[in-house]
Amino acid sequence: MDLVLQLLFTGIGIGAVYALVALGFVLIFRATNVVNFAQGEFSMVAAYLMVVCAVDLELPYWLSFIIALAGMAIIGVIFNLGVYYPLRHRTYLPVIIATIGASILMANGVLALYGPQPQVLPGWFDTPGIQLGPVYLDSQYLLIIVVTIALVIFNYWFFEHTMIGKKLQATSQDKEMASLLGISVSTMIMVTFIYSAVLGGLAGLLVAPILFVSIQMGSTIALKAFAATIIGGFGDVTGAIIGGLALGIIETFGAAYISVPYKDGFAFLVLVLFLVFRPQGIFGERVAEKA
Amino acid sequence: MPLLEINDLNVRYGEIVALRGVSFNVEEGQVVTLLGANGAGKSTTLRAISGLAKPASGDILFDGKSIAGLGPEAIVRMGISHVPEGRRVFPGLTVKENIMLGGSNRKASKAELSGEADAMFDLFPDIRKFSGALGWTLSGGQLQMVAVARGLMAKPRLLLLDEPSLGLAPVIVQAVFRIITEIRLSTTVLLVEQNARMGLSVADQGYVLETGRIVLGGKPEDLWANEAIAAAYLGGHGKPAAGLAAH
Repeated sequence: MDLVLQLLFTGIGIGAVYALVALGFVLIFRATNVVNFAQGEFSMVAAYLMVVCAVDLELPYWLSFIIALAGMAIIGVIFNLGVYYPLRHRTYLPVIIATIGASILMANGVLALYGPQPQVLPGWFDTPGIQLGPVYLDSQYLLIIVVTIALVIFNYWFFEHTMIGKKLQATSQDKEMASLLGISVSTMIMVTFIYSAVLGGLAGLLVAPILFVSIQMGSTIALKAFAATIIGGFGDVTGAIIGGLALGIIETFGAAYISVPYKDGFAFLVLVLFLVFRPQGIFGERVAEKA
Repeated sequence: MPLLEINDLNVRYGEIVALRGVSFNVEEGQVVTLLGANGAGKSTTLRAISGLAKPASGDILFDGKSIAGLGPEAIVRMGISHVPEGRRVFPGLTVKENIMLGGSNRKASKAELSGEADAMFDLFPDIRKFSGALGWTLSGGQLQMVAVARGLMAKPRLLLLDEPSLGLAPVIVQAVFRIITEIRLSTTVLLVEQNARMGLSVADQGYVLETGRIVLGGKPEDLWANEAIAAAYLGGHGKPAAGLAAH
């Protein structure tokens, strides 16, 4: 039982990271009808920005954190203007290919600047963790969970209780109608890209002390987060969060009880099972029932 | 000076010519109805006015200023609100949220928009009880009410209404047209209708479009008197519709 609780804690922690990246996937997909294959690279780039600020320049941790997130906001702007905006009147295919191109560019750009050696980023807290009854709460995992809960609450408030949130939803549902009402569609899409880049970056900053900071970390996280969005129901915000958490828990338990080397395999096994038996995901609409 | 002046407007979709040399005026305070069959260019005319379609040539003057080629966001801020074909109510937002977003062309706080949306239900009492319902759960008539209410939230000087009666039961069509007679007390309306009888019943002026051209215009009673029009669009007895092109 103690082990179960311990694994649950760890699983939710890593699942929260997938959930944040998955949320970024879903928000961009809803705003632009395109899957952003560079979403994982946002996490990777942010982690490297953090290494530069906190390790190389020895800036205070909190300041580095803010600089890295601000940097991601700027990258969100550049990404929108450079990758999405020129192709916005085209079909989804050129845009998807452009996001793949941007992903390769970001990974190799960082490789060229920083080299292939994985970097180590210390955690935010000096205390490694606290013992709570039978469960050891690692401070970094605790931080991930607290930040994710705060972000999910913020996200709900932002989309459900502010006019800009409503305008973002309107834009994602019908761009032409939104523009007829005087909603600036290009501004709304810009906001979406900034928000998603910051979300992805935040996930990278939170998970970096647990993993190594490497060029590959982006694609690993992105694949899991993408699987999470499909499990949750593609395009569904709640589904992305639940899917991310579920995937984190499943792979943690799978690694502990079945096989550690196959840890990544469990996530994709679940993905395959969902694609075969429930392709609309947990929260997705049943297309057949709707028709 | 007319509120809206359209001069020799041409619109193309690729190779297809949708409008050829369309000219007409809408005077302030009037209801002007565009009649015509499917594909005659009625919706294209509205889309060109609201900025969804770019004119190939010709001019559109609103309050004396050219708006041809401006984007829809700029045009709705100038005071032209377009309620497009198919209602286009946001399916994942509630009725009240849909209506509140209609004020996006103005600088208004969330609280102001909420108050204005509540007041809008006085004009549309039938949808008040669906205030918190999501758009996709509504019937066609209710969606039309929401779409018109949302269009009015822009506080437009000119309201463009595209086929408000399409697909609605007769009793609902009458309810929609009762609302148009209330709207016309304060707002100029350019109405597109296939239901010519209803469309002309509220109009000060009517125009008939055929394959992208205006073939006839005049006061509703004159259009009624025209046998070809009566035959083609009003279900009257007269010459066959083909005779129209001669005008």
